Amino acid sequence: MQSSDAEPIVRIRDLKKNSVNFVLENVDLSFANSFRRVMIADIPTVAIDMVEIETNTTVLPDEFIAHRLGMIPLVSTMCDEAMRYTRDCTCEVRCQYCAIELQLNVACHEANTTMHITSNMLEVVPTNKPGSYGSYDTDDGGEELAKRVENFGHPIGKDDPDVPPILICKIRMGQELRVRCIAKKGIAKEHAKWSPCSAVAFEYDPHNKLRHTSYWYEYDARAEWPLSENAKEEDPPRDDVPFDYNAKPTKFYMEVETDGSLGAQEVVHKGLQELQTKLANLILGLKPEPPENDAFQSGAGAGGGALGGQPNGAHDSSQLGGWGMPPPMASGGSAWSPPRAAGGAAGGAWGSSPARTGGGGGGGWGSPAAAPWGAPAGGSAASGSSGGWGSPAAQGWGSPAQQTNGWNVG
Amino acid sequence: MNAINRYELYVLDEGEKSVEVTEDTKIPNAATIKIVKQDHTLANLLRSQLLGYPSVLFAGYKAPHPLQPHFLLKIQTDGSITPAAILEKACTDLIGMVATLESKFKREFTMNNVEGGVQEDAYGVPTSGAQWESGGSYVDLG
Repeated sequence: MQSSDAEPIVRIRDLKKNSVNFVLENVDLSFANSFRRVMIADIPTVAIDMVEIETNTTVLPDEFIAHRLGMIPLVSTMCDEAMRYTRDCTCEVRCQYCAIELQLNVACHEANTTMHITSNMLEVVPTNKPGSYGSYDTDDGGEELAKRVENFGHPIGKDDPDVPPILICKIRMGQELRVRCIAKKGIAKEHAKWSPCSAVAFEYDPHNKLRHTSYWYEYDARAEWPLSENAKEEDPPRDDVPFDYNAKPTKFYMEVETDGSLGAQEVVHKGLQELQTKLANLILGLKPEPPENDAFQSGAGAGGGALGGQPNGAHDSSQLGGWGMPPPMASGGSAWSPPRAAGGAAGGAWGSSPARTGGGGGGGWGSPAAAPWGAPAGGSAASGSSGGWGSPAAQGWGSPAQQTNGWNVG
Repeated sequence: MNAINRYELYVLDEGEKSVEVTEDTKIPNAATIKIVKQDHTLANLLRSQLLGYPSVLFAGYKAPHPLQPHFLLKIQTDGSITPAAILEKACTDLIGMVATLESKFKREFTMNNVEGGVQEDAYGVPTSGAQWESGGSYVDLG
């Protein structure tokens, strides 16, 4: 996107629960593509990751069934706040904050009928009681469970007669399938089963005016190739206009279709937030490493600045103005920090709660939910530059979280 | 197995720095910036954003090896601003752009919700009650 360009425009043409069709205008091709990539590969969801087969007398081998179970979309609404990555969790193996247990226990006793084992037969084991393998972490105080929707982790469409269940296996009399599944949070860069998107359609320049592609043809490409629906949105090419080799695509037609684990709207919003997170982490990484400060010193230093100025770094409103306050801060930051702060005060343990190594001054910042911007790139980005939050240049980032955390109060 | 954990593609190691700026010794006002645990999603976005600035003479990136989760971003400026500073400006500008886009999306979504968009059947399947309970009538995609 060139800075001289007009503001980006978005127009939603069709919105359903699991798909959204929109036109994106006045953005750069690279941005549209990054947006597409981020929606496909960088948004966390929940999926079955480990399967313990207790009995499998079906015709399908164990690994076949394990794979099929992994591909089943599970309800993952608000996944980034409602669940932790197992690798970030404080528990030893797994706990209710970082894993969801599902069970499948089906046997066919009827003669001459084929029984269908479907995703609807997967039962989520309730997380409010200790599991059989010490999977319940009692004294943690995480807020994740409160953020979960009622059917979090359930196979999609369970208890909804309008949604066809997903067939896992067919069995006949005497056959049985008994398995225990552990669902975990992950992103599609690790395995495609964690992708919330079943498809993302992406098109620009339907008339090929920019000649980014070349058509194979017998006699005349324009007569032989059908035009896409989106061609109606743009003027057809005129033969009397010479080819503009400086022209750039500005209008992008996208359709985001999800597998049901997240709604289409959530995927779009999380995608944009994820892009912001990536960029913000890069800014943090570019900041020179400041001299190592004691936690209280840096807290006090930033506190002074924060009290004097606007929380969003008004000293450079031209650059920071727009993005200091919108969603990432609101959802990533303030959503979790008040309960965090409250929990910390009650337990008196904010310094020791994080699983991530805060290192020196980093302690509080490296809490499992990470700093507002630190979610994916995680621990070391947030903790390594912990002093950076306090430096004047970083006030735009540092101060709101500090104020919400009540750091500068003490 | 000896396969690496897949999350090492996008999670920084213990104490690993996410960005490393190396000034170019032979070209004036140029730097190669190594950005770790990121891929084309970020690289191409930054490259094209940087090329939009008049003070940038060169901006390009490469991902040296598909199995190594980092990329190198090379920036040369006209001297009015350092490569690291213009990269930071690119990031802030992009974040601002994403924020405006986000608010526009929000507005569009609420407008469409009022019109009842979400209430539609999300699967395009006629809602004829418990036809799935009888068994056998699955959407067979195979």
